[in-house]
Amino acid sequence: MSLEISVVALGLIVLLADLWLPAERKRMLGYSAAAALLLLFLNTFTSHCSCSLAEGPDNMTSAGMFIQDGLAVFFKRFFLLAAVLVLVMAVEFSDRIGAGVSEYYSLIVFALAGMLFAASANDFVMLFAAIELITITFYVLTSFQRGRVRSLEAGVKYLILGALSSAFMVYGIALIWGTTGKFNFQELAQVAGKFAANRVFLFGVVFFLVGLGFKIAAFPFQMWTPDVYEGAPTPTTAFLAVGSKATGFVLLLRFLFTAIPDVAMHWNKLLIIVSGITILYGNLCALPQRNLKRILGYSSIAHAGYVLLGVAALTTAGESAVLYYLAGYLFTVLAAFAVIALVMRHLNSEDLAGLAGLNQRSPLLAATLTLAMVSLAGIPPLAGFFGKFLLLKAVIEQGPANHGYYCLAFTALAGVIISLYYYFGVIRAIYWSKETPDLSPIEISKPMKMAVCFCMAGMFYLGLFPGALINYAAQVVKSLK
Amino acid sequence: MNVGLEHYLVVSALLFALGLLGVITRRNLIVMYMSLELMLNSANLALVSFSRFNDNLNGQVMVFFIITVAAAEVAVGLALIVALYRKRQSAHVEDLTSMKL
Repeated sequence: MSLEISVVALGLIVLLADLWLPAERKRMLGYSAAAALLLLFLNTFTSHCSCSLAEGPDNMTSAGMFIQDGLAVFFKRFFLLAAVLVLVMAVEFSDRIGAGVSEYYSLIVFALAGMLFAASANDFVMLFAAIELITITFYVLTSFQRGRVRSLEAGVKYLILGALSSAFMVYGIALIWGTTGKFNFQELAQVAGKFAANRVFLFGVVFFLVGLGFKIAAFPFQMWTPDVYEGAPTPTTAFLAVGSKATGFVLLLRFLFTAIPDVAMHWNKLLIIVSGITILYGNLCALPQRNLKRILGYSSIAHAGYVLLGVAALTTAGESAVLYYLAGYLFTVLAAFAVIALVMRHLNSEDLAGLAGLNQRSPLLAATLTLAMVSLAGIPPLAGFFGKFLLLKAVIEQGPANHGYYCLAFTALAGVIISLYYYFGVIRAIYWSKETPDLSPIEISKPMKMAVCFCMAGMFYLGLFPGALINYAAQVVKSLK
Repeated sequence: MNVGLEHYLVVSALLFALGLLGVITRRNLIVMYMSLELMLNSANLALVSFSRFNDNLNGQVMVFFIITVAAAEVAVGLALIVALYRKRQSAHVEDLTSMKL
């Protein structure tokens, strides 16, 4: 719990520091906040957090609303790292935000606090409070560029659809609690089997999953994604793509495999269908797009589908593949958005044409974006390839039991092949674009350069030496049962 | 007539359905937002009635959380709608068309 308290305190300190700092130093406040979060991130490897990994499952039956198990620690590290990189990106972006830069930083920190609470949520009340903390902060973060109509529009769309999904989730929680009388996940797991045929309970579960489906942008709750990704300020989009989506997945894993394992066993058909359609929808709709952020929006829908492969497999191999894939996705997507934030800084829209001549303007950024696209497409030796390999392996292993899994694996492969077209469209725009209107070199600040290089190193490391993270993920998912 | 749990649940389901219908059919952002609040309150009604008939107060605690969150959501939401209105002079969904394809 001390980690969450420190993060909330940091958010408040950033807000207060804004009152006393002179205007020209407010920009640097973002770096200070990023440095503080980096310290907290490193601290999770040294202090009590790591020893809770070693504790056995007996410890968890007594867990209350808040659980600090291996899975929680894994996702806390994930969110902290994402927030550090997003804050560095936000400093770079701050001249486009205008008034209230410090509020922007502190809102990112508050959203991070919500994600940390969600990673530890072991109870519907905690889960609801955490998820709303994230969602409401993101309404503001999305519409932060008040002078830009697109940003406001994205905010309003996110608001209406986000509130709709919260309403579904709350009603689902009410029905689940009403039939079983349990809020706690472990207590619910003990009785859930008895309610497997209870219609009201099943309605509750479906409504709850609708709410989570919105968070992860799975079909048919994906319609907000492209517009919000396009309209929101780029650092917000990056945090939305990485943090908010991963929150949805950690809650989905906990709900399906800790709270209702007996019921989830029978739901593989539904998960297979949702995963397959999500992959196809995301990849097919990305094909005609010209706006880079919109392409990444559709690609994030497709990637939600890929990650759902691991959930649909309903095995521990699938669960650990989910964790691995999300880790690779963090580096890849943050690298892509960092490049967008830098290159498209002075342009009004993020059209692909803005990438023309990038390899002459900044070879580093061109290489980063190329690698990110290659990793998203799933080409060896980068992180995205190995993640997809693990997910497909987990699904195909389940094939003999249910032939639907073979169809799902085939769909996923088809999706990968379709996606090559638009990912390589981006690379083509960088290197082989005809029009080169602007060849001025792009200045990159030192922290941003470090962040970009770190993302690249992460992509290569996870792709070339996957062993360490695979072992860690396999150990972590044991705490789900 | 004896009013039981089922009656309350039917009312709450009706409220939820009405709210959903409002969100889907109405085109004014404020009215859509009102309908969303109706949906949240239908969940509150379900929670309170379950709580009353099962003699378990946990549900009512959850209701307080929902009310608080709904208040925060309204504060942010109305501010957003007002900001959009200033920019666009309209609070209609049909006018939210600056992003396409």
